[in-house]
Amino acid sequence: MENRAYNYAIVRSFVTWSVIWGLVAVLVGVIVSLQMVEPDLNFPPYLTFGRLRPIHTNAGIYGWGVGVIFATFLYIVQRLCKTPLWSDKLAKFQLWFFNATIIASAVTLLLGYTTSKEYHEMEWPIDVMIVILWVAFAINIVMTILKRKDEQMYISLWYMLAAIIGVAILFTVNAAAVPASLFKSYSAYAGTNDANVEWWFGHNAVAMALTAPPLAMFYYFLPKTTGVPIYSHRLSITAFWSLIFMYLWTGAHHLLWTPVPDWIQTLAMGFSVMLIAPSWGSVFNGYLSMNGQWHQMRENYLVKYLILGITFYGLQTLQGPMQAIRTFSAFIHYTDWVPAHIHMGTMGWVSMISFASIYFLIPRIYGREVYSIPLANLQFWLILVGQLIWSISLWIAGVLQAGMWNAMNPDGSLTYTFMETMVEMYPYWWARVFGGLIYMAGLVVFIYNLYMTVSKGKPLATQTASVEGRA
Amino acid sequence: MDLGSLLYLGVTFGLFVIFVLIVMRTYSRKRKDEGEIAKYRMLDDD
Ligand code: HEM
Repeated sequence: MENRAYNYAIVRSFVTWSVIWGLVAVLVGVIVSLQMVEPDLNFPPYLTFGRLRPIHTNAGIYGWGVGVIFATFLYIVQRLCKTPLWSDKLAKFQLWFFNATIIASAVTLLLGYTTSKEYHEMEWPIDVMIVILWVAFAINIVMTILKRKDEQMYISLWYMLAAIIGVAILFTVNAAAVPASLFKSYSAYAGTNDANVEWWFGHNAVAMALTAPPLAMFYYFLPKTTGVPIYSHRLSITAFWSLIFMYLWTGAHHLLWTPVPDWIQTLAMGFSVMLIAPSWGSVFNGYLSMNGQWHQMRENYLVKYLILGITFYGLQTLQGPMQAIRTFSAFIHYTDWVPAHIHMGTMGWVSMISFASIYFLIPRIYGREVYSIPLANLQFWLILVGQLIWSISLWIAGVLQAGMWNAMNPDGSLTYTFMETMVEMYPYWWARVFGGLIYMAGLVVFIYNLYMTVSKGKPLATQTASVEGRA
Repeated sequence: MDLGSLLYLGVTFGLFVIFVLIVMRTYSRKRKDEGEIAKYRMLDDD
């Protein structure tokens, strides 16, 4: 009977809005990829690459990524704690404030207001909005956890708490600035310190927004989908604490070969390599949880999404430490290799897990069967192929670019001009447009499938009681 | 190395010690069964 009080209405709203912002992010992504191959598609002052790119990244990370975090965390916390949300009103406020913040960010970025700090471009009034939003979210999750029925916390709750606390600390430290006017502020840090703080924020944003939350989802939705528990809870806890311990020191791997003190760079390099252990702790835990269940990869589309997702996480966390080694960094830094790394993480790892989570949630929050499993399978292949074309073509481009930049004539002069290296990139950038379009087609299939599920899906008789959400 | 660097490394080492203690506690023989309860309980949250 407790089920009746669970608030699924708020989960439905966050799912809807995260998908809307996800579509915006991918659409703008395709537009900026076209602008790189067809510069005439830049329409100053608003619709230029410089203004649209941060809209793409922020809509992707904060609109889609954080939107899914809100949807899934608000669902998972109620289920794992076996208790309804602490406050429905606060959750509703969070929903509308979330959308207001995303819209305010998009408008100000289009108008050209920016701090120029990557992943933290929004000016100080929006930072204030983000802090209010996060505090509202944090209070609701923490208070719900405090009134939980089980004493021991399942691993997903640990990752959720880490994400909430981690983002709060990172964001406020990096946001420290002196406002000069309503839409202009100056960072509280200067020079090298500013860069160090920015990348301490930047890389830990990867940890706390793009790693901890999808891990929380993975650990929850995998066993729920397969019906068997994870391999080892103690391994998951150990991997959790070592991930928390190690991530903090890795930010400076974005600043190798810069004026940041050498020992900070070395520390970042060492910790980045050590980070393979906790990352693969989770990957192995996922794989070993499939012992005796591998046939489900064929039979259950959700398992396919989840296992491919954790596999991309594994690949990402092998490639990342490699990039953090000085000699390797000297070769690939500033090249197109890096966006390929990012997109295996965002389109492969984070989005695969997010799609699976939403597919899992939809029948439970709407009380309807998913409209079409074949469409969900088609989407799987579209996003997988789209992402692989995207990443592989840019890895090749990055190596080519680095090779050309480093090529020297016997007299020590450079073999290629910068322009010559740019011209070589065109085929790969076209391949990226193509990969992006395929991925977007997958997203359109997803949205169609969700829409049809909600409007025409067969009612799920056994779930009706549990979907009577409030708010 | 200046005081700032020593502090940075000191905090790192301090956190490492805390981490080791957590691992020892998680894997202590006394808590073997207790440590795995949550993974079963999460399955019947429906
Ligand atoms: C062990 C884990 C990881 C390590 C050590 C690592 C390491 C790195 C390094 C060294 C760079 C900088 C490359 C350069 O500019 O030269 C980088 C960039 C990046 N990584 Fe990873 N990575 C890891 C996992 C991930 C994951 C799971 C994601 C999730 C999406 C991710 C997303 C990113 C992003 C967004 C950037 C680009 C930052 C920018 O805009 O310059 N990384 N990573």
